[in-house]
Amino acid sequence: MLIVSRQAPWAGPAAREALDIALAGGAFGLPLAILFLDDGVFQLQQGQAPAALEQKNLCANLQALDLFGVEAVYACQHSLHVRGLAAGTLAVEAQPLAAEAITALFNRFDEVITL
Amino acid sequence: MATLHVLSHSPFTDGRLASCLRVLGPEDGLLLCGDAVYALADASALRHPRLYALEEDVQARAVVAKAAVEVVDYPAFVALTLTYAKVNSWL
Amino acid sequence: MKFAIAVFAPAHAPASRRALRFAQAVLAEGHEIVRLFFYQDGVHSASANVVFPQDESDIAAQWHTFIQQAQLDAVVCIAAALRRGVLDEQEAGRYGRPAANLPEPWVLSGLGQLHEAAQAADRLVSFGGV
Repeated sequence: MLIVSRQAPWAGPAAREALDIALAGGAFGLPLAILFLDDGVFQLQQGQAPAALEQKNLCANLQALDLFGVEAVYACQHSLHVRGLAAGTLAVEAQPLAAEAITALFNRFDEVITL
Repeated sequence: MATLHVLSHSPFTDGRLASCLRVLGPEDGLLLCGDAVYALADASALRHPRLYALEEDVQARAVVAKAAVEVVDYPAFVALTLTYAKVNSWL
Repeated sequence: MKFAIAVFAPAHAPASRRALRFAQAVLAEGHEIVRLFFYQDGVHSASANVVFPQDESDIAAQWHTFIQQAQLDAVVCIAAALRRGVLDEQEAGRYGRPAANLPEPWVLSGLGQLHEAAQAADRLVSFGGV
């Protein structure tokens, strides 16, 4: 399953709930990847201090994705670019993908959930 | 292994359609439902050959389709999900 | 063919009604629904405390009737439901809350049920947003 996470991190539980789908899938031993798209790439920003909003840190979970069987973490190159983020400066290692590579990524998985 | 992308947000207030069009493959399908059918009012934005719209949403909104589109009811919607290898709804 | 259907929208959102009509068409066309899974704000589609005005379609009630009549497996994500105040008797008791609003045949369970359903089905179709 490919999970496409499009939500900014502190706009409600949506970003965490997208991540939870990925974390729950690890137990099934199937191919599992996550793509950060649109405002979802803000989840990867370095130096976030969500304690100011009484929120738990999402990055800690993102850094542990491989432990939960998530084989790959990707970020949309275009989404990063228009938001002034550079792939090399993210809090979590994510492979930047151009549009054609994202089309190919959709094709690789049996199921996609975009939220 | 083409994907049926399903959109339900208006393209005039939301970026989902723009993002979807950026990653849409030539074999992929695009189904508009809900406020996404308002996208049909602007033909220049939608030149995709495999374009569908949910009948009830087109009717309810009195949308005059300026783009070439196949209008589908629910049984046809179900059939479409089986024509494509997977369904990706932009929630 | 076998379908897994995931609902991410509350009963008052058009996407919940769309999911219901799609699910009904799936069965009418002779296919099978292996599971309905309600996640995020979709848990509100399962709430028994939703009251629509009499001259409007009651989508929450229609979901309940549909699931009962077709004897479908309808799972509500427990973490998403607790956070949004959708509780069955057991959870209302466990957390000392005054009321339960998730009657049978809805079942509270974890996200693993979504993955299990997606694997068992030929198609996973999600409905949410507007």
